[in-house]
Amino acid sequence: MRFLIVDDSSTMRRIIINTLNKLGHQDVAEAGNGREGLDRLSAGPVDLIITDWNMPEMSGIDFIRTVRSMPDIKDTPVLMVTTNAAKDDIVEALKAGVNSYVVKPFTPDTMKEKIEAVLAR
Amino acid sequence: MSPATAIDSLLLDELTAATRDVFKTMVFQEVEASSPIAGDAKRPGANVVGTVAFAGQTSGLVVFYSSLEAAQSITASMLGIDPANVNGELPDAIGELTNMIAGSFRTRVAHAKGEMWAISVPTVTVGSDFYTKYVSDVQRVLCPFRMRNKAELFVELIVTRSTVQ
Repeated sequence: MRFLIVDDSSTMRRIIINTLNKLGHQDVAEAGNGREGLDRLSAGPVDLIITDWNMPEMSGIDFIRTVRSMPDIKDTPVLMVTTNAAKDDIVEALKAGVNSYVVKPFTPDTMKEKIEAVLAR
Repeated sequence: MSPATAIDSLLLDELTAATRDVFKTMVFQEVEASSPIAGDAKRPGANVVGTVAFAGQTSGLVVFYSSLEAAQSITASMLGIDPANVNGELPDAIGELTNMIAGSFRTRVAHAKGEMWAISVPTVTVGSDFYTKYVSDVQRVLCPFRMRNKAELFVELIVTRSTVQ
């Protein structure tokens, strides 16, 4: 399986990659914001997108809305990982097309469970 | 009202809880909290300072202070690498740590008080022989923590005086 992690924090990308590696997944592409994420997707589809919300140039929400408007990749599962925990934020993310949502800080077990649940859909 | 209670104690409790939660889940160790220190007492002589601003019904800053050695230890634990191999990753890791403390603090305050805040992107300063000075009229409380290896950390809550409730 191929994954795309979109986050402006290299630390958070590494933490998520470590979790994916522990789940046996090695094929992971990285991007520092939504625009870079779209560039990575232009090279080929992925099985799961894991994205932050607050990023420079293109936010996670705008990135997801764009992905959902692109016929070839519009059905790609998306997991959002963010500090935005207000109910209104979660509703906005779900409306934009997020499939599941992880609030930072999170335990490795929580991240594993969310990834596995999204992939099982 | 004493300086220690000038800032709502609920905010200090939530900031302490947020810091402990972030360390437990993302740094994989418990930190021991000590009594908060109010006022303009001398700031810790830290080599690493992370800052996130918040704005809303209450506005101010959440500031994280540590030594370089403690920041290297935290970075290594977050990334799952040896502390000796930590180099350029440190500013981003401490920025993310401060961002998560501030974000969790914001969420906790929203639940407890119904206040909705916006928070800034984090900034991180790494160096020596520097100090930070806040030019606006603020209330400050420093929350000390101790890591498992006895290294001291501090998380400071700075609230713009006009928004102290």
